[in-house]
Formats: sequence, structure tokens, C-alpha cells
Amino acid sequence: MKTTYLAGVAALALSAGMTHAAGHLEFAPGDGDFNWDSYNAFADANDLSGQTITVTGPWTGLDAENVEKVLAYFAEATGATINYSGSDSFEQDIVISARAGSAPNVAVFPQPGLAADMASQGLLTPLADGTSDWIAENYAAGQSWVDLATYAGQDGAESLYGFFYKVDVKSLVWYNPEAFDEAGYDIPETMEELKALTDQIVEDGGTPWCIGLGSGAATGWPATDWVEDMMLRTQSPDVYDQWVANEIPFNDPAVVAAIEEFGYFAKNDDYVNGGASAVANTDFRDSPTGLFSIPPECYMHRQASFIPTFFPEDSESDFFYFPAYAEQDLGQPVLGAGTLWAITNDSDASHALIEYLQTPIAHETWMALSGFLTPHSGVNTDLYATDTNKALGDVLLNATTFRFDGSDLMPGEIGAGAFWTGMVDYVTGTDAETVATGIQDRWSSMN
Amino acid sequence: MSPIVQGLITIIVGVGGCVGYFFLSNLVLDKVIFPPRGDDAGRNINRANMVRPWLFLFPALFALGLYLVYPVIGSFVRSLYNRSGDEFIGFGNYTTMFAEEGFQTAFFNNFLWVIFVPAASTFLGLLVAQLTDRLSWGNIAKSLIFMPMAISFVGASLIWKFVYANDPDVGIINAIRFALGATQPLDVLQLSFWNNFFLMVILVWIQTGFAMVILSAALRGIPEETVEAAIIDGANPFQVFFKIKVPQIMGTIVVVWTTITILVLKVFDIVYAMTGGNFDTEILPSYMMDYMFRDDGRATAVAFVIMIIVLPVMIWNIQNARKEMR
Amino acid sequence: MDNIAGTKSSLSIVTNLSVGFLVLLWLIPTIGLLVSSFRDRDQITESGWWRSFSAVEQTFRIRADTEDVRREGDLYVIEGNIFAADEFTEIEGNQLDTIAGFGGTSRDPQGTEPGETAELSRDRTLTVQENGDYRYTSPEEIDREPSIYFAAQTPPDFSLENYETIMNSDNMDRAFINTLTVTIPATIIPILIAAFAAYALAWMDFKGRGLLIALVVGLLVVPLQLALVPMLTLHNQIGIGQSYIGIWLAHTGFGLPLAIYLLRNYMVGLPRDIIESAKVDGATDFQVFTKIVLPLSFPALASFAIFQFLWTWNDLLVAKVFLPSNSESWVMTVKIADDLLGSRGGDWGILAAAAFISIAVPLIVFFTMQRYLVRGLLAGSVK
Repeated sequence: MKTTYLAGVAALALSAGMTHAAGHLEFAPGDGDFNWDSYNAFADANDLSGQTITVTGPWTGLDAENVEKVLAYFAEATGATINYSGSDSFEQDIVISARAGSAPNVAVFPQPGLAADMASQGLLTPLADGTSDWIAENYAAGQSWVDLATYAGQDGAESLYGFFYKVDVKSLVWYNPEAFDEAGYDIPETMEELKALTDQIVEDGGTPWCIGLGSGAATGWPATDWVEDMMLRTQSPDVYDQWVANEIPFNDPAVVAAIEEFGYFAKNDDYVNGGASAVANTDFRDSPTGLFSIPPECYMHRQASFIPTFFPEDSESDFFYFPAYAEQDLGQPVLGAGTLWAITNDSDASHALIEYLQTPIAHETWMALSGFLTPHSGVNTDLYATDTNKALGDVLLNATTFRFDGSDLMPGEIGAGAFWTGMVDYVTGTDAETVATGIQDRWSSMN
Repeated sequence: MSPIVQGLITIIVGVGGCVGYFFLSNLVLDKVIFPPRGDDAGRNINRANMVRPWLFLFPALFALGLYLVYPVIGSFVRSLYNRSGDEFIGFGNYTTMFAEEGFQTAFFNNFLWVIFVPAASTFLGLLVAQLTDRLSWGNIAKSLIFMPMAISFVGASLIWKFVYANDPDVGIINAIRFALGATQPLDVLQLSFWNNFFLMVILVWIQTGFAMVILSAALRGIPEETVEAAIIDGANPFQVFFKIKVPQIMGTIVVVWTTITILVLKVFDIVYAMTGGNFDTEILPSYMMDYMFRDDGRATAVAFVIMIIVLPVMIWNIQNARKEMR
Repeated sequence: MDNIAGTKSSLSIVTNLSVGFLVLLWLIPTIGLLVSSFRDRDQITESGWWRSFSAVEQTFRIRADTEDVRREGDLYVIEGNIFAADEFTEIEGNQLDTIAGFGGTSRDPQGTEPGETAELSRDRTLTVQENGDYRYTSPEEIDREPSIYFAAQTPPDFSLENYETIMNSDNMDRAFINTLTVTIPATIIPILIAAFAAYALAWMDFKGRGLLIALVVGLLVVPLQLALVPMLTLHNQIGIGQSYIGIWLAHTGFGLPLAIYLLRNYMVGLPRDIIESAKVDGATDFQVFTKIVLPLSFPALASFAIFQFLWTWNDLLVAKVFLPSNSESWVMTVKIADDLLGSRGGDWGILAAAAFISIAVPLIVFFTMQRYLVRGLLAGSVK
């Protein structure tokens, strides 16, 4: 068959991410346009020699290496030892170890819903006073980040439990500029144009989309992002919020319509690489490679800002904003997500780590690596490793509406369970109404 | 290096401790508490013999009680409470569960697994054991068929993902279909109903080796005279196998069947790794994992349903054990 | 001797054939993965492993260098050789030297025969010779580097690269040692404890024996997921926490019912007269056990040891719960499932190599022990 990749891509991809920064810092303090003052000030104010902090999170592979490189600065500044462990099944591991009383000091939650759950069981420690004020002042749309991380504790009192660090933008369509250029396609500005482009590609004998929902036990989650994006493009943000809070039922016509909007792309054999039946089982990490094969297996891939990590090394890629309908007056909604750092095992050093995350240098060191976006307004955006990352930051800034990934806010059983499997059922044949009703039933049964 | 040292020390302490316990406790029992001397010699021997079984059993009973009986009882109590564990709801978890479609699917699929996997593994294992019995390269063949036993469920799932892959350039199933003239790849894991069997095949592939090893030993243990007598009486090889050999190794077949049935009820890895329970392939252990740490009331209730399913097999075994004792 | 004369030869052919067929059927999935673990990612998706020993036609892209543009009358021309392009000289060990077809767009990357001229849009042309020499012409100035696509036969490429990638990943050696540390005590301790218990249940008379046997059989089916959280909490209360001691105890507890069940079934089948005559001769139960039953039960002990070893080696769930979740304490299965698989989802070559590394030791153990095992099983007599 003629499914091909750029020569040498494999060799590079395999060796990618295997080099290990052994103890030394990626950027020597004092070099470059980093905010080293903030680093030095923090180093002077904190001495944690002899203390050890353990951090667990969902990142493995390249992301894990990056976070280790970034945390190395904290270790260097304070003298503390810091150990990061990433696991693909972080969500399970953290619950087990917290219940067992052997939780790490700091946990990095990809889903605020899970953090809220654990806070209500008394497994998290509230952050230091004043942190919420700091976030409100120094983060773009600061108050919304505070609200997303403020939960009721075991005693029912509300406090700030998490600090958002590393943000992803989700409303993006990735494409191969070379392929677009050769075929003479323009970047669509509206959803109508996007649909027209989709048909155009089919007419030209190509396949427009690569969609893959496979993700092991989490199979189905990429579809939830599609549906959320479609909700924001067909309904007002208020309706979106009501949906996430289950104030309108999951099988409300608005939600069913959004699911069907997703189905417009995913359930059409001509529109997706491998046909609709391949959608459910193709691994999400695997599916974008079709953009870069020769001839292209597909032209567009809707996925969050982290996905270039899984592109073949050396491949040229670009993205455009997943456009909104021109006919609907909903502005430029953007869907995003972020990881939440919370203290699962209290110690002075853990609080110092959260404090360190407030320094510009903590953000800049990761910005200069890859795959990192931040709403921190005090950082030097020239430090973003690529223009792509910088442009991603612009998407965040241009948004007229910003909404957090709804499935991450729903209770774990729905947002990380029924919603996923429901979407798999939907792409494999069940109709939207039935799927939505099933999810709503599960939600109702929880109360 | 420290874990290695730690490991060595544990092996020595653990093993030495166990041996020491059994040896010393017997010594104490025989020499100190009930010495077979003096007037009470006879009575003491009897007394010691009444106590001794419990000495032998104590470590096992202790570990079983701690690691299995206690959690079972604790979990049963838990299954009678609601999801957050603060309200007693009797059998509420069980009734809502049985009314749920997802559970019914899992229950039905599990039923298929419990019937098909032990039957197929035992049958194939018996077949291979018999066929390789007099074969010059029988031991090599047996090793190769046993090999999947050495592979973890995660590893096995990976191997079979490769076989079932959609792309005819990766998956051999689709490659064969294309060679036979198919034009559209078929994802066998999405074929409703039959996909369950494609998953079961993986476990059969693993477990046949187990059945084969045990049954092969049992076949060799059959007294030659009975077989010879049958041949002299004019029985053909099939009759010898089914009428003479199989009845004699029935006890072993029961053991193998039971062991595999039990395994089937515990394995969630295959479904978890292959389909994540999607496409109507959920089985009870993977269904339970869905609720684990979220709704413990429901999760423990599922565990009890699993235990109830095996009840018939258990009763069969206990009766067998009774028969042997007589 | 167990065959009737005359049918013997035909029956043995059938037997040989059917065993051969079954063995082949059993091996195919593993062989597929084994072969794939030596191939690189491009080739795996390019052709099935069953065709991996023949050359594969792959499509490549290079960019013509705009620095070499010269004018020929009205035309702007770039000339060069494909195989001299930077994209190629960087690739290690490439042995490409013949073009099978070429094109100027990714839609049609190889539609033109070498030596012919492809007409591209806007009156541009591209000619590529079989040896890689190309000529690109355009009536207008060339502002971006034009792409040239071509197909070439790539020879089969087997390497240890996938294995190296995994072996070099952080903490793999550590994970290997951790696994051994978990496995060995977790295999030996339950066998020892179970052997005594099995003997008591098989050959000692006492009240409640039937009940205990029933209990053991009943406990076989306890889904161990049930015990995970309560036991972990208990371990924390008594100060063991998430540690090796904890996981050894856990594996012991979870392995015992099957161990007792299998060993008891075996021991019951031992010849009654030997044991009874020993007892008549005045041997105590302890002596009977260590001197007679234990040696006779060796095959059963060995086979259970193998099963328990395989089980603990391959276990993922218990290790995740009872060992700390930091990368220093990961065992191989956790390392592979949570670290490697997560970060390289679609990379078949890596996944295959990871699977083979994890099964290497069990396979070695099995193949070295199995003679022993089979011999042992033959010596004993199973009822």
C-alpha cells in the first residue's frame, strides 16, 4: 500500500524524547531573555535543603521530561530534592494512594472534577491564603481560573485547592501547510466554509478528516471535545454551563444537536480516513499521522494544542482556529483545559512549590521547551519555542468566550466514563438521542 | 542495589521463618506439651494429633483470613450501603444494577465467557495432550503451545491487537480477507456479539497450555493395563480415548475446568486493553472496574454477583472433594 | 502399541499434521509481533510482517534547493540529484539508489516514470532520471523550495533499534530488578505455606476439614480487586505502607487458595498405602510430610511455582496498588503499561519490543524449567 511517511521520520521519532537531561539545567541561569530576577529572588527567599517533594502527574514521555527539566530549577533554587513520576493511569493511581494515605506531596490533575471530588473527601490541602488574589491579578481571565479551582472541602467550606499551570487550547484544527498549498485550499474562516472545504476535498478525491477516538481505557474522550466545541458553536455559553452542571438534561435537544453536528463529520464514510467505522478504534495519538503521509490520508485534524508532541518528528504542521458559524452570533468561542496542581500531602516544601509556580521563570522555562501555554500575563512571550506556540497564545487572547473542557468538569462517572463510552456507541451506530438519554440516566442515578 | 539485598534477606527470613515455624512448633508440640512418655503417652499422642493439623494450617488460614475473608465480609457489608457509604440501602445496589442495560450486557457476556473459555481451553488442552502423547517431537510442541502462558495479559492483548488490526497491512485477519477478495477492512472488535468471541480466543490461546500440561500428566498416569485390555477387546483409538482414558482423568478435568473458570471471572485486563468495554464487550470484572473508586457500593455488589455465578462450580468441587475423602 | 496394526501409519500422519497445524496456529500471533519488533515504524504500516523479507516500495519527499536556481532563456531551472539532498544524506544507512516513479504533488507522488517529464501546474515541469538526477523548470521566479516526490524500493530493514530505545529509557534496568525483587519471594513463600496446609487438608483427620476445603474452594473466586483498598489501608495502619513487604504478603494471600487447591488435589492422589504404612511404622505427620509427601509432590510444587512466578511477573494491578507510584519503584509491567504505552500509542515497533522484553524472562524460566516440569509430572501419578 502507499501509506507513507517522510523518510527518516521513524528513526527520529523513535529516538525523540529519549535523551535525558542528567541533572543539569536546560538554560543556564542568567542566559537569554528569561526573567532570572524572579528566579534569584525565589532562590534567596527559600531554602529547603534536605527536603524531598514528590510530584505525580499524567505526563509521560516527552512531557514528563519537560516537567522534570522545569522542576530542576526549583530544586536548584531551593536545594530541595524533587521527584516527578508520570503515569498513564494517573486518575486511578492518585485515588488509590490518597486513600491509602501514601499520596505524593503534590499531584497534577488533568481534570478539575477529580480534584473537586478529592477535596470534598478531605484528601487535598487548601492553598495558602492570598493565592486566589494572585491568580485573579496575574492570570488572563484570572477569576475564572480561581473559580475552576475553588471547591467545598470535607467540612463544606469553600477554598482554593488548585493552581492552574500549563493550559491547553482545544478549538484547533491541525493541517499540513504543504498539502493545503499544493491542493490550493484556503483556511476556512467560518464553519460554513469549513463544511464547504470538507466537501471540496472529497470532490477532489481526498479524505478531509482524520479522527481517532482510541485511548485505551479512556477511549472516546476526543469525541467529547468535538461535542463541547459544537455546543459552543450552536448554543450560548450559558446553555453550555447549564449542560455541564446538568441543569439541562444531557438529552436536551440542544445537546443532541451538538452531538449530531459532530456526527456530520465523524459518521460520514467519505469524510474520515478509514471510514466511519475506523473512528472508534484508531488511537488518537496515531490518527494525526495521516496528515503527513504521502499522499495525504487526510487534510485536517481537530485536536488540542498538545497534539504536535505526537506528530512525526520534523513534520511541518500548522493550525487554524476551529471556526464558528457565521450565521450564529456567538463570537469566537474557545474551548480549553489545563492541569491543576494541588497539594495531596501537606508540607512546607509543597507550598513553596506552588509559590514557585507563580514566578514568571517557572512558566518561561517550559515555554522555551515545547507544548506549553500559559495565561500568566507577566511572562516574556518571545520565549515561546515556536511561532506556532505563540500563535496559540493569540487564539487564547482573541477568544470572545472561553470555556473549560466540560467533560473534565462533569463528575468523573460521566465526564470520564459514560460520556466517553456513549460517544463510542454513537460513532459505531447508535443514534444521538439514545446515547444522550443513556448518559442522562447514569447521571440521574448518581443522585 | 538495596532492593536486591532486601529481597535476599526476605527470602531468607521468610523461607527460614516458615520452615522454622513448622519445625519448631512440631518439636514443641511433641517434646514439651504432649510428650509421648509416661502414663499419658497414648493420650498425649492422640492430643498432639488433634492439635497438629491446626499447626500446619495456621499460617495459611491466617493469610487467607486477612487477605480474603476479611475483605469479602467487609465488602459485602459495603455493598449494602449507598455510593458514599453513609446510608444503608439493603439490596438497593443489586436491584438497580440488575435493571440496568449495561449490567445486563456485561452479565450476558460473562455468561458466554464462563461457558466458552473453560470448555474450549480444556477441550483443546486435552486434544493436544492426547495427540502429542506418543509424538517424537511432542515435548517441543507442548512447549510452544504452553508459551502464551508466559505472556502477560497486557502483552497478549498487544499481540492480538496486531492480529485484529484494521489495516490489511498490519492485521493478518484483514490481510487474509483481502487475499480472499474483500475490499473493505473489517474491524472484528466492532462486530457486535461475535467480537466477544474474538476476545475470548485470546484467553483460550493463553489457557490451553495450562490445561494441556496438567491433563498430559494425568494421561500418563493412567495404568497401562486398562488401555491394553481395551485394545485387546478390539476398541478403536477413539473408543480407548473417550471410554477408557477420559473417565479415568475426570477428576483432573474438573480441576482444570474449575481453575480456568475462576480465572475467567477475574480477568478484566483483556477487555480493558482491547476495547475498554466498548462495542458491547463489557464483562463483569471490567464493569466493576468502571465503578471502582467511584461508587464502591455498586462495585462491591458486582463482585458478589461474580461470586454467585461460580457457585455451581464451587458446589461441584466441594462434592468432588467429599467423595474423595470417603 | 496402543494402535491397531494397519491404521497405525495413517493415524500417525494425521496426528503429526494436526499437531503441526495447532502449533502453527498458536505461534502465528507471537511470530507476527516478534518480526515486527525488529522493523521500523514506517515499514510496519507499509507491508504486513509476513511480507517483511521482501523489499517495500516507499514514497519520499525532498525539496529542490532554491540556491541552485539558474536561468535558461525564459525559464528558471533547478538541477540536482535526489539522493544528494540533505534529507537523504542525514538518514543513516539508507541504501536507496533507484527511482521507481516520481511526481510533483503529494496527491500523485509517483505517477510518472523515471526519464519522463511531469507537467505541473502553471507550466512548471519536472523530470527525474532513474539515477536520481532531476530537473525542475518554471517560467516564473521560484520563490519557495519545490517539493519532489518519488517512490523507491526500500530493502527490508531489521534492526535492534526498538529494543535499544526501550532498554535505554529511564529506569528500565531498575524496573527489571524491582520485578525480580517482587517475584521471587512472592513465589516461594506461598508455596511453602500452602504445602503444609494442603497436606493437613489431604491426609490429616480432624473436625471441620470438609468445611475448610469448602472455604478454600470458595475463596478461589474472590475477585482480588475487592481486597485491594481494605488491605492497603490495613498496611498503612500497621506501618508497612506501600512497600515490598506489603506486596509480598499480598501476593501470598492472593496466591494461597489456588496453591492449596492444586496441591491438595495432587496430594490426595498419592498412594494411600505408602503413607499409611509409614504411619503404622511410627512416623509422625511431620516426618511423613517432609520425608514422603513433599518429595512425591515435587512435580506439583514445581508446576505451581511456575504458575505463581508467571502470575506475579505479569501482574499489573497488585503492583500498582501495593507499590509506591513513583518511577523508582515501578515494576516492568507498570513501566510498560503506564509509561511506555501511554507516550507512544501508535508506535507498533516500540510496543512489540516492549512486549517481548517483558516476556523474555518468563519464557527463559519456562524453557529451562519445562524439562524439569515435564519430567517431574511424569514421575508423579496424578489421579
